[in-house]
Amino acid sequence: MILEELAFLALAGVAIVTAVAALLVRELVHTILWVAIFFVDLSAIYFLLDAPFLGVLQLGVYAGAVTILLLFGIMTTRKRIFSREAATGIGPVPLALALVTFVFLVSAVGQLPQSTTTLQTYDPTALSVNLFSTNGPWVLLLGLVMLAGVSGAIYLVREGRE
Amino acid sequence: MTQLALTGFLGLSAALFGIGIFGILTRRNFILLLISIEIAMNAAILNFVYFAAFATGTNGLTGQSIAVILIGFAATEVAVGLAIVLGLNRLKGTINVARATDLKL
Repeated sequence: MILEELAFLALAGVAIVTAVAALLVRELVHTILWVAIFFVDLSAIYFLLDAPFLGVLQLGVYAGAVTILLLFGIMTTRKRIFSREAATGIGPVPLALALVTFVFLVSAVGQLPQSTTTLQTYDPTALSVNLFSTNGPWVLLLGLVMLAGVSGAIYLVREGRE
Repeated sequence: MTQLALTGFLGLSAALFGIGIFGILTRRNFILLLISIEIAMNAAILNFVYFAAFATGTNGLTGQSIAVILIGFAATEVAVGLAIVLGLNRLKGTINVARATDLKL
């Protein structure tokens, strides 16, 4: 029991540190590396929460595809990929707004009953049955949105557009 | 069976959402903006997985299904965002969002 709590604390610390580091380092490629660690860390949290299907999906989609896509975006938009970003000053207003958001969300957490609950474990088979039967319309909608997204992306980057 | 407190998890996703908001407000590079949006969106997806793990009966399956669908939506959003990055780079020669002012009156 205590082992899981320690694992969660370690994973949460790594998640927060990597997310902050990703936004504060000056080299964009280093940002991608930090964000890749962040995504892998989140998938570890999913495994800790007994959601292995989501963990594998997070590894494949985020740590794999999205990271490579972002890296590709950096490679195609700059001459030297290790060039530094111009430093942008961190104003007090964005910091204050982010803190207000955090305090607001944490105060909402305070309204919940403070108790430890037993984690539920689900069979991936039951998850897939639920995904494609009860939530089938949402999967169809996701397919439509992906199709529209791919069409829009191709239109945006095609050659010879005025 | 594992016993864990729900509040710690929710505090983590609140912190991640705050970090995402901070990045969206401060960064001017389009790719960094996309990464900030991804961090905030991951915080939201994490919430669905927490509540799925702590739900009673088979209610949690719906939460995990929604998380799967949201991961798909987030991936689509990154693909479209990168197409916009490439278009902006071709049009302006930079991906600084402060320079993308063509729609201003």
